[in-house]
Amino acid sequence: MEALIFIMMMLLTVMLEAAIPFLIRKTVVFGVSIPSTQIKHPQISVYKKRYSLLIVVPALLLLLAYCIWQATNSPQANQVAIVGTFLLFGTLFWSFSLYFYFHGKMLELKGENKWEEQLKVVSVTELGIRQKDEMLPWYVFLIPMIITVGFLLFTATQYDVLPTEIPVHWGADGKADRFTTKTPISSVSLLLVLLTMQFMFLGINIATKRSGIKIIANNKQASKRRQLKYRKYSSWLNLLISITITVLFILLQLTTLYNNIFSDYMIVIIPLLLTVVLLICTIVFTFKVERLNRELDGKEQETQEISAFDADNHWKGGLFYFNKNDPSIFVEKRFGIGWTINFANPIGYLLLFIPLLLILLLSFI
Amino acid sequence: MYIQINPDLEMPIYEQLSMQIMIGVIRKDLQDGDVLPSVRSLAADLGVNMHTVNKSYHELEKKGLIHIIPKSGAVIRTANRKLSEEEKNRTSDSLKPTIVEALVLGMNEEDILSIAKSIIQNLKEE
Repeated sequence: MEALIFIMMMLLTVMLEAAIPFLIRKTVVFGVSIPSTQIKHPQISVYKKRYSLLIVVPALLLLLAYCIWQATNSPQANQVAIVGTFLLFGTLFWSFSLYFYFHGKMLELKGENKWEEQLKVVSVTELGIRQKDEMLPWYVFLIPMIITVGFLLFTATQYDVLPTEIPVHWGADGKADRFTTKTPISSVSLLLVLLTMQFMFLGINIATKRSGIKIIANNKQASKRRQLKYRKYSSWLNLLISITITVLFILLQLTTLYNNIFSDYMIVIIPLLLTVVLLICTIVFTFKVERLNRELDGKEQETQEISAFDADNHWKGGLFYFNKNDPSIFVEKRFGIGWTINFANPIGYLLLFIPLLLILLLSFI
Repeated sequence: MYIQINPDLEMPIYEQLSMQIMIGVIRKDLQDGDVLPSVRSLAADLGVNMHTVNKSYHELEKKGLIHIIPKSGAVIRTANRKLSEEEKNRTSDSLKPTIVEALVLGMNEEDILSIAKSIIQNLKEE
């Protein structure tokens, strides 16, 4: 069972890592922006293919070795997990190193061909674009929070009847395997962690909404449509994740309150089901974004203008957006799918690190 | 209507922004009562400093083209405007150096008038 989970995770990670150069926008290759007239340059597709091959082939060989090792040595579950985790992080590290190698190669290619001179940096927006923004309003994210607060109050009224041992960790079979003594805080720590995460999702939605709607200078119409949809899908995915986590945590809190409320079967199947739901949502999101990217193709105008947020000088290593002038908190990733923070804006750090600190704090008291 | 800023130009960004909004008014893309985006969101969408957008809005307010209502935004005000003597004088003052230079370079009255006409024509066209 453990081995199967690791193999699935490895396969999924490897496939996604290898596919990324082909899923993202064509005018940014390995974190280097290139003129739209050059997207068909033969060297670029050579680099992309080489990157994917260099990820897939070693990873598949390692996976094969992993399977053979398990079949012949029949190792214990924790050994399987440790080796599996190493493999997973190894693959991530390897793809990261490859990214930087090809980032350097692309910079060389760009320099050799003097593509920089073909790019003129401008800033574009449309007045009235904000009225077309269809992101979910912030108060929708309050709904799961209200449920959590309700359960907090409910737990408080039931404090006396709670068992003296509060579960803090659950095994793969859905059974609690670690406990702590009952205190007013430990009885609801699960709900407090949940509330912190819900706050984070609320904050992320607000911050994304306040961040710039970025239009690509030489593809205004199509990129505007794409950006508006991208924002909409992101906020829906955000809400879905928030709700799924809420269901999971409330479920665990209920098992704390009432020991036998769910059958053993249900307790295994529900978290698994929720994970599958999340996975499907993420995959659907990825494919929708990929389709949005394809809609951009062939609609570029014959200008050499690129938008300021696409200019290489704002992207450290092609990965980290750093623009002091831009009040945006989040911008779209250049390599990969999703959002990244504007590292020149301290609010982004706060939004991501304060919840993490709070959760850590809660798990130590 | 699109707004496009070019940071490499000699003209400061805030002036470019004011200029584009004014052109929007001339072309009737922006009409009396239209609300401009908030300073924060326009700055974020353009990826420019909030002070820059703020400066541009205040400049437009000084010209009497927009009305800034705290918390609800900047509203275009073009209806029932009366051209004041002072505004005419200001335009005359700022045109003078350009005309002096043109005359000294050898242009005649007709040349200058035809240039002015073609600029106006261009601005009104899409």
